[in-house]
Amino acid sequence: MSLFLPKLSSKEEVDGAIKGVAEKVLVLRFGRDEDSSCLQLDEILSKTAHNLSNMASIYIVDVDKVPVYTRYFDISYIPSTVFFFNGQHMKVDYGSPDHTKFVGSFKTKEDFLDLIEVIYRGAMRGKMMIKSPIDPQNIPKFDLLYHGI
Amino acid sequence: MGAFHCAVCRQTFFCGKKHIFGKSHQSRLKVVILKFIEKVKEARRTIKTPQVERFDGTKHGGTFWCYCCGIEMERNVTDGNVVVLHGGLLEHMATPEHKKNTQRFWWEYKADPKLMDKVLITTDATDRFKAEVDKALASYVEKEDTVLLQHTHMIQCQERHRLEVLQSFTEPEVEQELSNGGPSQGMPVEKAARPLGSKERAGPSWVKAKADGPGPGRGLTFIGHQDPSNDGNVHTGALPPWLQSDPLKEGSEGAEVGPSLQDFLKHKEQEKVKKLPPNRVGANFDHSSQTNADWLPSFGRVWNSGRRWQSRNQFREEEGKKKREKQGESGDSKRMRPNP
Repeated sequence: MSLFLPKLSSKEEVDGAIKGVAEKVLVLRFGRDEDSSCLQLDEILSKTAHNLSNMASIYIVDVDKVPVYTRYFDISYIPSTVFFFNGQHMKVDYGSPDHTKFVGSFKTKEDFLDLIEVIYRGAMRGKMMIKSPIDPQNIPKFDLLYHGI
Repeated sequence: MGAFHCAVCRQTFFCGKKHIFGKSHQSRLKVVILKFIEKVKEARRTIKTPQVERFDGTKHGGTFWCYCCGIEMERNVTDGNVVVLHGGLLEHMATPEHKKNTQRFWWEYKADPKLMDKVLITTDATDRFKAEVDKALASYVEKEDTVLLQHTHMIQCQERHRLEVLQSFTEPEVEQELSNGGPSQGMPVEKAARPLGSKERAGPSWVKAKADGPGPGRGLTFIGHQDPSNDGNVHTGALPPWLQSDPLKEGSEGAEVGPSLQDFLKHKEQEKVKKLPPNRVGANFDHSSQTNADWLPSFGRVWNSGRRWQSRNQFREEEGKKKREKQGESGDSKRMRPNP
């Protein structure tokens, strides 16, 4: 359902989104449109986008089109979702090894909604590191590749 | 034993007078007598110097309750215009009936006999009081008269002043006639005297003032008649200049008053932002800053446990090394290690 979510296809566009979105959580999904997990995630994102419109802006980014960010954000698995607020990167502890992004898809819409709400509240209070409300069982497991290997 | 109504406790008792020696009755009695004595004291103070005032219905019409006689009495004596404070009270206290009633009250309710005298007032005292009252009345009347005279004097002065001001406004006309008819003091005086034929009392002072006229001596400068023939005047009811359409400005602004739609929307956004908590993440982030193509956001990298801005530098460093690797085709690439 990525047809309904706005796409960013160049570094400039991504920069514009990071700098432009004000007082709302910025959700950047890094992945490929054809990938099955990405499709699953995209469906959840597009279904909740309207309800979250006051708290969050959601964008789709193709990893092949912005290699700089793919390297900078260290995206090894797709889909990976990165959260920003007012140009600041929001780290979330999901119980997984990587706190900088959410790897994989969400199990239910409610998980995603809860996560966005918690990120928004934390950001309003000035916290850049937040504990995820999602049950660790629902978080996809992955191994973190050692950097440089 | 018959029914006995105690006025102090305001109750009817059927067991005789034994309650009178009880605590509640005595305390109530004390309070009542104390209050009564206060009133009498105040009245006694005025025996030597009675206070006479103009009658004011709101203040002086009060009555008081005499406990001994069980009746309500007028506190002050008045004849409609003038009032003698505490006159009624003192008169009543002097009557023999009141004395009898007081004694009965004291006996019935077993009050303290020492306090009885305080409630009574002798006839001598009242006679003295009446004499003083006469004197006081006379002096009061005198005072009122003087005040009245002062008022009239003030009113007369004001009237005179008003007349003078009125005359000074008719002087410009007379000035013109003065200049036309040649400098002669006799003529303007006559001409001026005619319109005020009736106001003879103010005549002499008025004429004297007019001799100077509204010239430099008076503090006014005559700047010439204003000719309103074209556009009209305030008095003719013409359109004021600020409502007239300006031939210069027409065609440039159209009638736009206030901010444009964009500005208004921006303003609304700003208002909303002001209400957000000031310590939120990125509160001071400049959303409209122009950055070049190399800009990278602050990102807490995966293997990074230091400050976030370091991650940018580290990334650029790595990029630089990679490029050099590709260019130099050196096989021995430096191993990247996570930051401590």
